[in-house]
Amino acid sequence: MEKSGRINSIIEENTLAILDASGLTDARDYDDDRLTFLEAVRASSIVAENTTAPSSKMFGAVFQILRDARSLELAVASYQLLCELDKRFPRVCISHGDKSESLQTTPLEFYVKEAWSPFVFGLESSYSGREVTDKNLGEPMDSSQFLVLIQGITQLGHGMGFQLSDSKPLGNMLLFQYLVSVLEGDFLPRNTVYKETKNWVLLRESLLNMLLGSRRISYKNLIRDCLSIISKGFYSHGKYSAHELEHAEKSPARIVKEQDTSLAFALVELEKGTCIALQKFLVLVMELDLSKKQADMHGLTSRADGVRTPLVEIILDELTYDKDLLLQFLLVFSDPKWKLEIILLYFRKYITKPSTRTRRSNNSSDDDTFHGILRCFSNGTSTKSIIKKISVDVGQLLLAHGFQAYLSLQLCVQQNAASGGDIVAVSLVQICKDMISAFRNLQTTDGGMEIIPIGKEALFTAATIVTLKSQQLERESSEDKSKASILEVAVGSLGTGIAVGIGAGVTITGSTGLGLEAERAEMTCQMVVFAAIVAFDGRHQPYG
Amino acid sequence: MKEMKMDMEAPLDFELEDHLLSPPAPPKKRGKVIGLDDLLKDFFKEKKKRNERESKRARARARKCYNSDEDVDTAHLSELVNQCEQKIQEIGNEDEVPLWGLHVFGKQKTPTLPLGSLELRSCKLLQSLLNSELNLVLGLNAEKGEAEGLLINGWLSKLVFICGHVEECLALWTFNLMLYSSKEELRASGCDFWCAILPSRDEVEQPSLKIDWFPSSANLKQALETYGYLLDSSFDISSLPEVVHAAADSDCQGPPQNIRCLIKFLTACCGVRGTWSIFSSSEAKEFLGVIISLFLDRQLQGLSSLLFECMMAIISYFEDQEWNISCVEVAKSLASRLPKNLNCLRVVECISGVDNRAKQLRSEVAFQILINCLDGKFTEAEEILVWLMSINMKDKTCDYFNVYIYLALTENWLFSNPLLGEKPIILELWGAFLRNCSCQITNRELSSYASKVRNKASYILQSTIH
Repeated sequence: MEKSGRINSIIEENTLAILDASGLTDARDYDDDRLTFLEAVRASSIVAENTTAPSSKMFGAVFQILRDARSLELAVASYQLLCELDKRFPRVCISHGDKSESLQTTPLEFYVKEAWSPFVFGLESSYSGREVTDKNLGEPMDSSQFLVLIQGITQLGHGMGFQLSDSKPLGNMLLFQYLVSVLEGDFLPRNTVYKETKNWVLLRESLLNMLLGSRRISYKNLIRDCLSIISKGFYSHGKYSAHELEHAEKSPARIVKEQDTSLAFALVELEKGTCIALQKFLVLVMELDLSKKQADMHGLTSRADGVRTPLVEIILDELTYDKDLLLQFLLVFSDPKWKLEIILLYFRKYITKPSTRTRRSNNSSDDDTFHGILRCFSNGTSTKSIIKKISVDVGQLLLAHGFQAYLSLQLCVQQNAASGGDIVAVSLVQICKDMISAFRNLQTTDGGMEIIPIGKEALFTAATIVTLKSQQLERESSEDKSKASILEVAVGSLGTGIAVGIGAGVTITGSTGLGLEAERAEMTCQMVVFAAIVAFDGRHQPYG
Repeated sequence: MKEMKMDMEAPLDFELEDHLLSPPAPPKKRGKVIGLDDLLKDFFKEKKKRNERESKRARARARKCYNSDEDVDTAHLSELVNQCEQKIQEIGNEDEVPLWGLHVFGKQKTPTLPLGSLELRSCKLLQSLLNSELNLVLGLNAEKGEAEGLLINGWLSKLVFICGHVEECLALWTFNLMLYSSKEELRASGCDFWCAILPSRDEVEQPSLKIDWFPSSANLKQALETYGYLLDSSFDISSLPEVVHAAADSDCQGPPQNIRCLIKFLTACCGVRGTWSIFSSSEAKEFLGVIISLFLDRQLQGLSSLLFECMMAIISYFEDQEWNISCVEVAKSLASRLPKNLNCLRVVECISGVDNRAKQLRSEVAFQILINCLDGKFTEAEEILVWLMSINMKDKTCDYFNVYIYLALTENWLFSNPLLGEKPIILELWGAFLRNCSCQITNRELSSYASKVRNKASYILQSTIH
């Protein structure tokens, strides 16, 4: 062990020496050295036969290259290397023991490896008061730097300070994606184990919890920035840049510089990735909230954990007062579980149902489902009272998106659990019918209502599903019918067969048995026909 | 050191890693192995400055004495100075090796396929509703606009999953949108649609969807051709325009943004070999070559992650018994088409060896390119190494740039190669070549590649041979 440690330190020293910039005057040599360094780290930690994790210093240097983002090539290469390293050397591990048989008997083993992390939260006091300058680079990020990063991306989304020739903003997007993947890799295993063991400490010590609990940043501002990127940011900007690029492609007079096109090409892809990463971030926070709420109820948290407004509530507040934000958010946010949850919460804020309260005793959980919401639109009066509070358009929008999320979830369920498909299908048709009638009610309540495009699409989908399912049912029942009619014929002919066949001495008991069995247990028609033919043959034989 | 601190305050094992507790080694310790280069460079810079100063003085003098008797002498002198300057310039420029990069895509062609919306009229799924009572309210028809909305917002894939059937017209329509639509929303949604339906399976690992139409590899190749892809096997690589960075040629337009969808689609196709076999293994070989060649286009740098995923998917597409031979074939065909410059190294480096097959491919590609760089004179490992060893580094005419390429290629070829264990002679020869590189090059060599060769060789020597 002593020896391998020594070898590691030799490797570290040698590899880091590649980065030594003394005596370099040319920018290209400087960049080349960085690429060589990344290759060397990759070789020793990923390609080699006996790989060793890079030391903290080496990790830090790779991370620094990503943060510098001197060129797109360097940013992309360092990002990819970091992702691969994280995959190869995860910081948090769960070992399932023997997962296959019994989950309860073998407790999940959980361990954290002492390893480099791109975040530092514990030592915040020693960093306090320092500004984000180039001087403290090469060190992990703290929460305020994370906030600054997000704010930078927000500005980028608004089209400010963006130039196609600058690779730094793109590097920031990659950096953000990497950081979210680190948060995710740290949080998800902890949350899994927490759900099994109810050990809240695991989640308290998660990077995500520490980030959000940091007193150096305003949690609400952080979330607001995230929301503004999701909703206003890239959609308009992405279109704009893609449009501009195509425009540039079309006009031959304008010379598109190589670097520019490569950045523009990367831009669309990176924006998408960033948007997905942002959503992932929000979902992680909501999952954390959920676990925390549970821990609160079980009395596992202490005062030290502090109080944080659940993210869902912040999102709801933001969405309620900004219709444009609502529109964009629903368009972009794609996680079906949380999307549906947010939509349901939105409705629940405005729906007070004296009429359904009586029914509550029967199915109290119904309110919490999409079906429950649809039922509120099932009659004129309750529809009217909802529309009074939220406009018709918002109502349509929420219903359509809710339906979309519901369908996605249904499909997930269907694909995961094979059994019980019938039950799912029945309620699916019911949901579709309720969806259509909800829109009808909306229309009768508000005569001037025009159905928004996504509403039309939702209705189309609902109606098609109803038709499809009824066709399927018809097909099945018509098959049943035809079976039944064949059976009748068969049985009838059997009867004649019996009548005629007795004299011929054909053994009919066997064929009658066949016929009855087919009738009872949907044996194939062929057998019945066969039986009939046998009977007919039996009838014909004596004559022949 | 350690014994001295063997008390309670001695850092625990893991604390050694903590740089707060154990201060990092003084930076001067990890200077480059050869520091003389830097001295030389400084010296050289000084000299250049001095020369400039002299030439200025000389010019000034020339102006001053323009009419004097020393006219001829001064003219001579200034000519000398000029020559000197020129030489300096030349030496400075000598290092300017072009960056890696090829224009893998030329001019785009107009797609030959009609952007099918007409066929959609025959789509039963969309039509099933049109005559219903509800439609009187909605006023929908199966025209393009409506169907596009259904696609973009993801309704279409949900419908398809519920009815368990993808009609030919839908498959065609979405496929064409994905590859040829100029609207980002449409092409991305078309791509999402295919990426959703391809991997769908039920509980017994059977496809849960009936898909009436599958694209063939010809469809994809046609798309590549439409995008202006130049690097197919029939194309002569030497006629490809080298990337000129100072003045990018406006004629050399890149591919359309649809290339991203094509890459994603290819990745998805390769992930489902068990369910659908869309390509034969020889087609997969071809696509592997194509994807690796896309790494060479600087315009596509931002797509590295996509390309990487796609490459890994294709690599795992092969059956075990096909792989060994396919790997060599892909490497050979790549090697034969590459120019002998930095692009060779870029190709090797982009095959990041995250798993065994990728490692094998990386090593094989490096080997085949090396053979090709030596004009196919040698094909045996030993021969090549013997030849490399025979390069005289002290020779004035030695081309250090080429040596650098050979060195890097050999490194990648032999890195964690089982060959080293099987044949000790290979390891010996390799070590000898490395020592030549690190020791024989004199410090007077000013080419930056001379020092790069030296540095790289010493690094490899130190980090691999303990």
